Amino acid sequence: MDYFVLQATNGAIIGVIYALIAVGVTIIFSILKIVNFAHGDLYMLGGYTAYYAITFLGAPPLGALALSMAALFLFGALVERLLLTPLYSERTERKDEYGLLVTFGLAFFLRNTALIVFGPFPLRPRSFVPGVAHLGSLTVTWDRIFAGALGVALIIGLLYFMHRTLWGQALDAVSQSRESAAIVGINPRLFNSLAFAVGAALAAAAGALIAPVYSLAPDMGVLPNIQAYVVVILGGMGSVVGSIVAGILLGEAEGLFTAFFPDPTRALAYTNAFGVLVLMAVLLVRPTGLFGRRHVRME
Amino acid sequence: MRGLHAYVLAAAGVCALVYGHLLNPYWMHVAIIAMFYGILAASWSLLAGYAGLFSLGHMAFASLGGYTSALLVQWYRLPIPAGMAAGVVLCTLVGAGIGWICLRMSGPYLAIFTLGFAEIVRITFSTEDEVTGGMAGLHTAPLFRAATDLPYYYTAFGLLVFSLATLAVIARSRWGLFLRALREDEQAAAASGVAVARFRTLAFAVASGFAGLAGGFYAHYVGILTPSVGSLDLMALLVVMAVIGGMERIPTAVGGAFGVEFLQEALRAYGQWRLVLFGLILLGTMRFARNGLLTPAWLQFVRLGEIRGPAPARRGVGQEGSGP
Amino acid sequence: MTGPGVLVRGAGLVKRFGGIVAVDGVEVSVAEGDLIGLIGPNGSGKTTLVNLLTGHLPPDGGEVFLRGRRVTGAGAHILAALGVGRTFQLTQLFGRMTVLENMLVPGLTQPGSTWEGARQRARRYLEFLNLAHLENQYARNLSGGQQKLLELGRALMLEPTVLFLDEPFAGVHPRLRDELIGRIRDLHRSGRTFVVVDHDMDSILRLARRLIVLARGRTIADGPPDAVRADPAVLAAYAGS
Repeated sequence: MDYFVLQATNGAIIGVIYALIAVGVTIIFSILKIVNFAHGDLYMLGGYTAYYAITFLGAPPLGALALSMAALFLFGALVERLLLTPLYSERTERKDEYGLLVTFGLAFFLRNTALIVFGPFPLRPRSFVPGVAHLGSLTVTWDRIFAGALGVALIIGLLYFMHRTLWGQALDAVSQSRESAAIVGINPRLFNSLAFAVGAALAAAAGALIAPVYSLAPDMGVLPNIQAYVVVILGGMGSVVGSIVAGILLGEAEGLFTAFFPDPTRALAYTNAFGVLVLMAVLLVRPTGLFGRRHVRME
Repeated sequence: MRGLHAYVLAAAGVCALVYGHLLNPYWMHVAIIAMFYGILAASWSLLAGYAGLFSLGHMAFASLGGYTSALLVQWYRLPIPAGMAAGVVLCTLVGAGIGWICLRMSGPYLAIFTLGFAEIVRITFSTEDEVTGGMAGLHTAPLFRAATDLPYYYTAFGLLVFSLATLAVIARSRWGLFLRALREDEQAAAASGVAVARFRTLAFAVASGFAGLAGGFYAHYVGILTPSVGSLDLMALLVVMAVIGGMERIPTAVGGAFGVEFLQEALRAYGQWRLVLFGLILLGTMRFARNGLLTPAWLQFVRLGEIRGPAPARRGVGQEGSGP
Repeated sequence: MTGPGVLVRGAGLVKRFGGIVAVDGVEVSVAEGDLIGLIGPNGSGKTTLVNLLTGHLPPDGGEVFLRGRRVTGAGAHILAALGVGRTFQLTQLFGRMTVLENMLVPGLTQPGSTWEGARQRARRYLEFLNLAHLENQYARNLSGGQQKLLELGRALMLEPTVLFLDEPFAGVHPRLRDELIGRIRDLHRSGRTFVVVDHDMDSILRLARRLIVLARGRTIADGPPDAVRADPAVLAAYAGS
């Protein structure tokens, strides 16, 4: 019984992390209308940035998180300027395909650069908060609790940003309609950069928060990338709240799947496949995602 | 002289065949692997470049073909060609199935779905290690027992020529026209009488069959098979090869495969940096020369063969898709 | 001697998108030799009706018949093979294929077609449409008007007995529009049936022998142009839109 509860708790925490990653994908999708194949690698870079901030700059956990988010925010804006501007040009055809190929290429580039720069061996930053907590009969590491709590705080912060601040509302407006946004005086180009930057920052936060829990490796973003798509498609491409809810649900479902899987030695391997199976099942039923009309082709 | 470029290519092929035995073992191995990737790049080009179906499951089919052949040979003592054929048949059927399942998926969704499929295949092969040997690897029966790799070289060459010939026939036939129409505008293709479902499924079936063929050969050449054949890393490399060369035409995709593979070996001293370089080249190609680096050269080359022939197709304004 | 037969018939057609009923129980009968103008205010369901009758959308209710044969739910490519041609509201050409290749696609889907035969037919139609000199140009490099003509040509390659033209005159230069009207008349005279959807009333009236008016997914008028134009229901529908 305790095992199940433990998995359920861990599942909820992982769910928050999934939510953070997926919300980034959603925002990028809503504004730029592309699926970012490099999102998992932005998550990976966020994790490593936090690691180096803690290990070499001696930054405190919150400081490392902030630094990681800021660094990836800037990086995201840079990527958008360098690689994604053809998406806004009349002359570019098959923009869907361009977005796909270019972010795929970016993922390949980032992953292999990371392999060289960071080395192939897993790294683990110092714990944010060392030790474990005892909740009733459960034992949960403080790091996990920290990750979950901060993740929730970030999500709440993001929702506040999207609904209460001018910039956030503008972002929301552009996601609904570029043309109306331009008419109202919002500069869509600025918001494209902002969207990608915010998405990258959220992915970075997820990576930074989970780094002490799962350790870092250059390919750590591959599976979360897929899981982010599961979440986004389940929650509705373009729906921030949907991504949050679906993220937590998926995390929870995976936790329970691990708990109930009969063969513990295989459980972890197939848990990874679980998210993929959910994804494929959803796509089978709704090939355009659960809220297909949100995917408006750019041409 | 009409079709000059065809003669040049044929001559190059004959040279490769006749002088192949002069290659030292290392470069012969590289050539064989290049031909392996050539088959994969060509078949992926039919799927993604012609029909516009950006599948990330291609290497999964290669690994499926490889494991099928290896295991059937191991369990039932089948002759290896039979095992390879079985692999091809299985991949064609599964490919058709995937194509059918994905009928209503477009672009990124198709990519994500096939990525998921590839991961499931890889995870299954990796986890069921009693059967497949898992990450430790499956020892496969060798196709030839010979002092050198020369028989493998000839076989790979033969398979490559066969694959390219078949794919070229399809590409130049009305089927090729229909597949390209699918990529351009599926709805308009349907309105023009193209049976969209049939051709999407066909594209997947054919491409996957060839991937299975390449994988079957690879399994019995390399001697050991691991699930990493179907990994995303290799799939990404394949995409890099095809896109850098030019994914919309079979010759440029194959050229990209050869080029990247040989470059990879030539730059062996730089280790992991090679992949970083390829990533940069890929990004640059996408951003500034979207139809591939080899395409302009290839088009000029083809034009060589049309000097006394009918007027070549007039190109549109500039190079398509280049620049913002 | 029998009168002109019914080529296409839609009976009780219904199509919903989410909560919106785009086509609400439409009965329509296209007779051989008709030249119908399908008009109505924006959002009245005209394009959806065309999509239903050409197999691009399956109806949620009702049936579609082609020459008396039930074809409800049959895909667009099947209806295309059976002689139902259409053009699109926003031209949907095969942009990175040449003009000739655009024509060859439908040409070669016909059973028993050969490359040479299809090429000859294609060139004949391209001549008819004044596009022959552009044979090797990529379709996306054509002007807007030329693209519309090419789309018509592409539909003609199916040797259709009925052609649905969706806003063929939208954004077209007046001179080209006249040419288009002339071509449609020529084709009609040689025995093809037309259903033309458009907002350009001038052009429609120059062509159509029969007007069908759609409003909010329902047919509100169907008859000769003069009668329809004087119909109070029609005037009301347009006034209210």
